[in-house]
Amino acid sequence: MAELAPILVALVVGLPVVGALLAATARTARQADVLASAVAVVTAVAALVLAATALTRGGSPPLAGRWYLIDGAGGVFLAVSAAVGLASVLLSPSYLRTAGRSWLSATASHRWYYVALFAFWASLLAVPIAGNLAVAWLIVEATTATSALLVAFTGRRDALEAGWKYLVLTTLGLSIALLGIVVLAIGQANLHVHGVHALDWRLLHADAGSLPHGLALIAFVLVLAGLATKVGWAPVHNWLPDAHSEAPAPVSAMLSAALLPNVLLVAWRVRDALQPAVGARAASAVFVGFGLASILVAIPFLWQSLPWKRLLAYSSLEHMGVIALGVGFGSPLAIAGVVLHVAGHALAKALGFYASSPLLRIDDSLTRRAPDGIARESPPTAAAMGVSLLVLAGLPPSPLFVSELLILLGGVSAGYAAISAIAVVALALGFLGLLHALVEGVVGEPGSGRARARRRGEGVIAGLTGGVIAASIGLAAAGLALPGSVLVATLMRGLG
Amino acid sequence: MNAALVTVILGLGLAVTVVRRRSAAIALVAAQSLVLSGGAFTLAAGRSSQFLVASIVLATKAVVLPALLAALGRRTPEPRLVAAARGPLVRLAIAGAVALMVSAAMPRLGLSSAHTEHVSVALVLVGIAIVATRRPALHQLIGLIVAENGLSLLAVSVPGGLSWVIELGALLDLVLVVTVAAAFVQRIHTELGTGDTELLRGLRG
Repeated sequence: MAELAPILVALVVGLPVVGALLAATARTARQADVLASAVAVVTAVAALVLAATALTRGGSPPLAGRWYLIDGAGGVFLAVSAAVGLASVLLSPSYLRTAGRSWLSATASHRWYYVALFAFWASLLAVPIAGNLAVAWLIVEATTATSALLVAFTGRRDALEAGWKYLVLTTLGLSIALLGIVVLAIGQANLHVHGVHALDWRLLHADAGSLPHGLALIAFVLVLAGLATKVGWAPVHNWLPDAHSEAPAPVSAMLSAALLPNVLLVAWRVRDALQPAVGARAASAVFVGFGLASILVAIPFLWQSLPWKRLLAYSSLEHMGVIALGVGFGSPLAIAGVVLHVAGHALAKALGFYASSPLLRIDDSLTRRAPDGIARESPPTAAAMGVSLLVLAGLPPSPLFVSELLILLGGVSAGYAAISAIAVVALALGFLGLLHALVEGVVGEPGSGRARARRRGEGVIAGLTGGVIAASIGLAAAGLALPGSVLVATLMRGLG
Repeated sequence: MNAALVTVILGLGLAVTVVRRRSAAIALVAAQSLVLSGGAFTLAAGRSSQFLVASIVLATKAVVLPALLAALGRRTPEPRLVAAARGPLVRLAIAGAVALMVSAAMPRLGLSSAHTEHVSVALVLVGIAIVATRRPALHQLIGLIVAENGLSLLAVSVPGGLSWVIELGALLDLVLVVTVAAAFVQRIHTELGTGDTELLRGLRG
């Protein structure tokens, strides 16, 4: 199967582009829906086959070509992006039927929604397989342009504000990251390594030992600080709650479950590549700092009565912090936890955002205020919200319980006992905050006299909830087998 | 690159922080981009093809982006000048302080010219300062381009030149971002009747 990798890579990046072109030429909204769904299924199959090929190579070297590199981490992130992207495309017709106003006219908005969605998905699928730092940066920057349009899709004033803020802040952040990349290019040029391949992940890793420590450290800090804006790490997370809460539900799911972790993977690769020059402790300290700050900033918001999607956005901030801690700790247990956390978070967060579509059909004022007593009015929607919150909170047997346990134990084993202790307390407070939201918003008394009525989309969300429950239990069980596995051993080998 | 040209590029960036009229800011950023591409052409003579490609990319940027911004300015007329949060002298003082701070505190990045290193990083920060201190969406967009010009100055100064793949990719990304941002500016103008982003402050908490 490995010999098919170049073809699969071309398909994974090319098929969504075909999807965008087909959607642009669709004559009716129905035709756009059908074409988009068909292309999405084929794209996801190609991406999942490629991810499975990378993940089943055992201890063999990663799949690599002139422009791509797919190791175990890339395989996991690619699979997550494929699954979330597929679900988002398949749920888009339902969103678009009830979306109300948009930036463009009804038919045009349908077409251009899919064009932007497929362009966004193409870049998301390309990030984890990019074999070069500069190419990864170019793709991440492209995600900004395509997804900013989607964030502001409704054309409402709040959506425009969220989209503009996202576009400007993340572009500025990525400019800082590019500054760091150019500094690295100067370092490589001074070692007589020129051209775009001077920034290949493996070449950077190989040359890092020869780079001057000070220059490598400056580049590392600039690249990480810039990428932090896009990951949404505190204190440069201002765009995140607004963009996630204003975007259409299928797009919010892709932003939270796929975009943020994929950019974090780029940051992780930068650490792997530059660690020989920067030093393990300094490299870890940056991740641990961003991770702890993100968790601590997020926790107070998880206790507030926030609109549903805004609550999920702050939960994303918390979970990106947890993943950063895991990468920073860098021990085998922590890395096992990171892989599991990325997959578990994607499942639960995507379900939570998808549940917002039927939720807002119950009462569209819930875009601006916290939900109340949803279980009385729509049990399937309440079940989806409850499962999402419980998995995100880390209630056993949630895979996030296992992953957080692995990350924290990994922190202790790596000598970060104090940081791990602070994180335990913060995560416990976050757990209670989400339980509070569950009690108040889902199972409490409804605040107004809304009538119980069967609503469009409840069957779909009930099916998705069942799927997420089964997948979560499976992931948690698989997570217990991760420590000591070949996958973790290859991840610990990094880019070497 | 010639030190005088590099200083002119910085001066044009600082001037952008002062002017109030969008047309003046567009003219300044266009001039800055042209001087930058001219400087890159002087580096290209007798050197690798990477420098020539970089110069062509910069020249394209110097023509395409200001043209796009000028067209956008015409399509989104402001009923009156948007009052800045801070006066022109304060803005210039902030930008100048940023530039001086960079010169004093920044470690060497490995180029032969410390002046180019300082100006490049200062321009990135001046661009960020423009975005932070200016209210009109179009001015914020110009701030992004000033920051991008700082990066381009550093990129063309890399010994041997930065790969044409990166130069071209960065240009395409920038054009894509500016096009999307232009669509936003137009939509914001339609929604609010002005490009004043201060009026877009509904989201909190």
